[in-house]
Amino acid sequence: MNKRSKLFAVWLAVSAAVIIAGIVLFALLGFNTSPDRMAGKTVDIRYNIVVELSDAHKETLRSASENAFAANGVSYEEALTLEGQADPTSNTQTSFYPTGNDFTLRYVFEESVSAEALQAAADDIRTAVAEAQFESGAEVSVSVHTLAAERFSEPLWRAAVGIAVGVVVALVYTGIRFGIGCALTGLTAAVHDVLLTLAFFAVTRVPVYAFAPWLYAAIAAAASLCLWLVRCMKLREQAKDPALSALSAGEAVGETCRTTDKAVLALAGAALGILAVCAACLFAGGGAIVLAGALVPVAAAAYSAMLFAPALHTRVKAGFDKVNAKRTRHPSAKARKRGE
Amino acid sequence: MGKKKSAFLLALYTLLIALLCFICVASFNYGENGMYTFSSILDLTKKDADLGAEYGANATYNGGGYSAVYYPEGVISAETYENELAGIADEAERAKYEAKYRAYQGGTLYLEVETACDEEGAVLESFASAFASAKEMFAARVARLNVDGARVSVRDDYTVEVFLPAMMENEYYALSRLVFTGELSIRYGTSEDAATDAFSIKRGETVADYVKSVSSAAGGGTHYLAVHFTDAGREAIAKATASAGSTDSESGTSTTNYLYFYVGDTAILSLTIGEPVADDLYISGSYTGETANVTAILLDSAIQGGTNDLSFTAGDALQIPAGYGENALMWLYISYGVVFVAMMAFFFVRYRALAFAQLYTYLLFTACTLLCVWAIPFLYLSVETYVAFLFTSLMLSAGNAMTFEAARKEYALGKTYASSVKTGYKKCLWKLIDLHIVVVVFAFLVYAIALPGIQTAAFVMGLTAVFSGLGVLLFNRFTWAMMAALSKKSGKLGNFKREEIEDE
Repeated sequence: MNKRSKLFAVWLAVSAAVIIAGIVLFALLGFNTSPDRMAGKTVDIRYNIVVELSDAHKETLRSASENAFAANGVSYEEALTLEGQADPTSNTQTSFYPTGNDFTLRYVFEESVSAEALQAAADDIRTAVAEAQFESGAEVSVSVHTLAAERFSEPLWRAAVGIAVGVVVALVYTGIRFGIGCALTGLTAAVHDVLLTLAFFAVTRVPVYAFAPWLYAAIAAAASLCLWLVRCMKLREQAKDPALSALSAGEAVGETCRTTDKAVLALAGAALGILAVCAACLFAGGGAIVLAGALVPVAAAAYSAMLFAPALHTRVKAGFDKVNAKRTRHPSAKARKRGE
Repeated sequence: MGKKKSAFLLALYTLLIALLCFICVASFNYGENGMYTFSSILDLTKKDADLGAEYGANATYNGGGYSAVYYPEGVISAETYENELAGIADEAERAKYEAKYRAYQGGTLYLEVETACDEEGAVLESFASAFASAKEMFAARVARLNVDGARVSVRDDYTVEVFLPAMMENEYYALSRLVFTGELSIRYGTSEDAATDAFSIKRGETVADYVKSVSSAAGGGTHYLAVHFTDAGREAIAKATASAGSTDSESGTSTTNYLYFYVGDTAILSLTIGEPVADDLYISGSYTGETANVTAILLDSAIQGGTNDLSFTAGDALQIPAGYGENALMWLYISYGVVFVAMMAFFFVRYRALAFAQLYTYLLFTACTLLCVWAIPFLYLSVETYVAFLFTSLMLSAGNAMTFEAARKEYALGKTYASSVKTGYKKCLWKLIDLHIVVVVFAFLVYAIALPGIQTAAFVMGLTAVFSGLGVLLFNRFTWAMMAALSKKSGKLGNFKREEIEDE
């Protein structure tokens, strides 16, 4: 038996520990979906004037707002410049258009930021605006808002069902082409990789968008299927080779790993490299979180394809080989009849 | 393949790829004073609410979305309150107006006394529960749109903020229609004023006893609404519309009759009825897929509506930039460029001129993907679809590298170049087919079950896996054959070398 197969108990223990911890923490806390900002506060500074607001005045509003937040000890997560649009009240109009006389500065805060501090900052902004010399007729309104988003659960459970069905059917095909043993190991490895990925995010509390865990689960399942298929192809080749077909399960899996490790590592490495480059490019925006998170399912699939699945398959193959040997020694009445 | 034929085909193939690349990425103005704009496929492709940037010939902002705030009756914004108060000159009127409202949450909202709050400004329980059920209804309506990025939030406890992505073609229509609340009623008559309830709903009954559901569907390129009646509804509507299409026996003139669909007090649509309605109604008009869907959702949810539902008004609409930052899209394109350059560098170093076969196949694959994402109505560009594309582009590159390596091995054993390529492909064929089938099956099943955006990403993965399979097994082989025919020393084309055998 090869070394990685001998250490099956270790791989199983590591995976089980992470997955069980993940399930417990998910049940207690769920994922850390803070990037979705399901709840938060905003301060809107809305400047309404029929003539265009000069850049100098926009800057005045910005600096007045930022000074007020600093003075009141609050810091914002994001500052947005928003353009006012036609209110959706017409039954005949078909699309939005900028009103051209609305300029809104929106500062987004975490839910935990004190509403009193924000109200105090809003008062300071109003005072600063009153002191500034803006065009006559200009109206500046400063408002503090609290937001609580509604969660849509249907897309999440349907994604989970979709991934499960996709994996099972893809492995039925694998079973037909490469044998039931390969399909069973592949299914276990895919489920393992999906759970390991989800558990990682539940345990580490790494911030993710609400949809992201299911995207990662899909990536884990697809990567797991592809990497395991590389092993399956070699296993079948070996089974057809008279020189290798007589090998024991441990030797056969060991030989397969020896010849396919390079390909598996190259594929997983390339995938990790591509995702790392993309995450680095998107570092300035929130997209980096999504892409950096996608490294986890690929890493989980690589771990599984390198260590967990071969070790598991040694046992699965040994079991199937045993059954086949038994069948050869004691053929069923049907098989005997066929033989006659 | 002959040299001349190969050269001609290669030139044609090069031109085709150059043309595809051009229409996919180049945007510019042309004509006198740049009057006309040529927009690239990349420019025209829809982007989800998370991606956006200013680009294209006119540097317009693409991506993000629009949000609008729905105010329930009895609730106004601080801005409206202050503007209206400032417009009242008479002191007594001002005092009356001030007495009508109470500030809520430090003056963020103003609540109307007796409608939303009591004299002390405490929110009425009946108002709070009516608002809670209205909020649930708005969330259900937006969820039924099945649009990636659509969002419903409660703002300041008693207003609803709805956000829809700009990639929708009719987001204004959706935001302006979904605000209507109340019970669905179908009225019949010669004019809106003269129309009466078509069902004559009795005490203890609701419209749900007459109308089963309203849905949208498409057929023959036309989008339509389908109103499904219960047996009682079918009977009632037939009875109510019995006079439709009849001619007055004395004057010999016929009167035009209409069927009006109301949600609360708002007429949503009117139909000219030329004959009695005996069965379910199928309403076509100038609907797009989105407008038909929005109207169906509105009418269907109004079946469960009540006469005491809070009415809402839409206001405060803003354009919201993309969720991943204002220039996320540009950085996404840059990341693609970096990955592309790195991938091609690897192929050129390892396979020399044969890397052009990979280059051609990869560019064709990318262009076809872009054209499909642009042309298929429910597809759009998002980080999820980008990840799916990266996954299958890795499959394509790995597949090509696999065939190159297989041929290299055969060549090293002493076979001729043509035989090496043939045997190499033969050895890889089923491996590549299996790999692609597994990914296609997985991706399309996820697509069939999931909802946007995983659904969109899964479809892109399935579609591009098909392209990848065709690319590796067909186009790469084709380009390779053309290039091999043109090469003086075939072995040099892919940096292939014979195995050195030492003589004893």
